[in-house]
Amino acid sequence: METLPDPSARYHPSMAADPATVWKLVERADELVKYAQNRDPQTAYKQARAVLDEAEALTGQLEQKAADGLRAQIQTRRADIARFDTDRLDGGS
Amino acid sequence: MAARIPPGQHLTRGWPVLSASPIPPFDPATWRFRCTGLCDGAEFSWDEFRALPSVTLTNDIHCVTAWSKLDNVWDGVLFKEVAARAGVQPAATHALVKAPYGYDANLPLDALLEDDVLFAWNHDGEPLEPKHGGPLRLVVPKRYFWKSTKWANEIEFLDHDQRGFWEVRGYHNDAFPFEEQRYSWQE
Repeated sequence: METLPDPSARYHPSMAADPATVWKLVERADELVKYAQNRDPQTAYKQARAVLDEAEALTGQLEQKAADGLRAQIQTRRADIARFDTDRLDGGS
Repeated sequence: MAARIPPGQHLTRGWPVLSASPIPPFDPATWRFRCTGLCDGAEFSWDEFRALPSVTLTNDIHCVTAWSKLDNVWDGVLFKEVAARAGVQPAATHALVKAPYGYDANLPLDALLEDDVLFAWNHDGEPLEPKHGGPLRLVVPKRYFWKSTKWANEIEFLDHDQRGFWEVRGYHNDAFPFEEQRYSWQE
């Protein structure tokens, strides 16, 4: 995860998506999670999961190394959201 | 004023609320702050922590999401006061400052021992609100604000660097705002 590729790096123009596009979606999911406490967390988490799904779908259009790095980032965030959602319902850890 | 605002940042008059995790509950009767890892170990109750020598510091904060907030007044205890009571071993070079829900942030010990780094319980003269990290948050003004762990309840002293929550999620390990060190691929 520390070797996340530079999403600003150049990619072949025939690719429909680039790492920067995927990373922006990951950041969008982060924002939804970070602002979740200001509104209904369950709705925010649901929206964040949907954005991560969209991001993961786009990784199929990336070069392998970039795709693997971004998929790992997406998976980590899915696990975070699942944990936060469970802990929230349990009243905190 | 402009010299105080790092590149890519804008000034906010409010204080946006962003949290990686839900707000943990706080009970002063059961709250504990622990020093672990390469140290003799220490544990403080809320009353014991509040009885440590306190300071009032004013500084600016810079969030990686691009807002900056100037002239924040914090009351709290210097990191180095806590470390002095933990019996930190000479081999310790770094630390993770931790919070509930698995949040942590890493920094070199030298950076944490500077005179502007504190654990704060008040902001602008009022108790720090839970949504901003109350009862206690770390404040490291020279770094992007995710390094300033909200709801801090543990320092783990280490003999190596170990990336924290956001640092393993694609964010910069050093996080200097004036160098705009936002992402790990800049390292």
